[in-house]
Amino acid sequence: MKEHEDKYMSEHNDREIREALKQSFPPVNTELRRDVWPDILRKLDARQVGVPWYDWALVGLSAVMFLAFPRLALLFAYHL
Amino acid sequence: MDLLQRFTHGEIDAFETLVHQFQGDIYAWTVRIVRDPCVAEDLTVETLWRIYRARHQFRSDGNFGAWARRIATNLAIDHLRRNRPEQSFAAEPAGVLRPDPLVQGEIHERIQQAFRRLPAKLQAAATLALVEELPYGEIASALGTSVGAAKVRVFRAVRILRKRLSQAGIRPE
Repeated sequence: MKEHEDKYMSEHNDREIREALKQSFPPVNTELRRDVWPDILRKLDARQVGVPWYDWALVGLSAVMFLAFPRLALLFAYHL
Repeated sequence: MDLLQRFTHGEIDAFETLVHQFQGDIYAWTVRIVRDPCVAEDLTVETLWRIYRARHQFRSDGNFGAWARRIATNLAIDHLRRNRPEQSFAAEPAGVLRPDPLVQGEIHERIQQAFRRLPAKLQAAATLALVEELPYGEIASALGTSVGAAKVRVFRAVRILRKRLSQAGIRPE
């Protein structure tokens, strides 16, 4: 009996909370107002122009090497 | 090669077709969780962008709509988490949801505040279940959990909300 009452009270309270929430949050318009494809294209273009991180890492590493060991530049030029 | 296979191989035309096919569904799902059209639009773009970047992880025989919805849900939850208000509100004399429109408006605002302070995962589950009244199966699939786990989230959200509303002196009736 007690279990039944608890279940009833819980369902009753849930209904109250549900109603309170439904009153506090008006329905939203779920229609998308515009086509988002142009935004995606812009992101794709921006990504294609960008230089990947490992290229930057390579440039940085080369700069450090040339600063630390300037003679390497000559060796490098010879091999080119 | 079908559309989804072409998409996983990185064909832009296939992706464009999928965007046009699913952008409305992704937006509708996202706006139900975040309840803000501008934010939902931005999150729709971000979701589609993430989908494109994660295309290699998608099995072309899988359910694209469900996969997209799960990514959208995760992004919406991240948004709720980042924008969760921290401050608590002071307790006031007990209010009951009823007659006076002015008082009612204030009470609704307080309920919204209390709701937005819920942990993001609970907030998302509770919005979809209690405000939108969507089936638990659909909610669980989007949250990436079992139906039981989704129900537990809603139960916890209701319990926390009830406690906070009672602390704020609000008694829904």
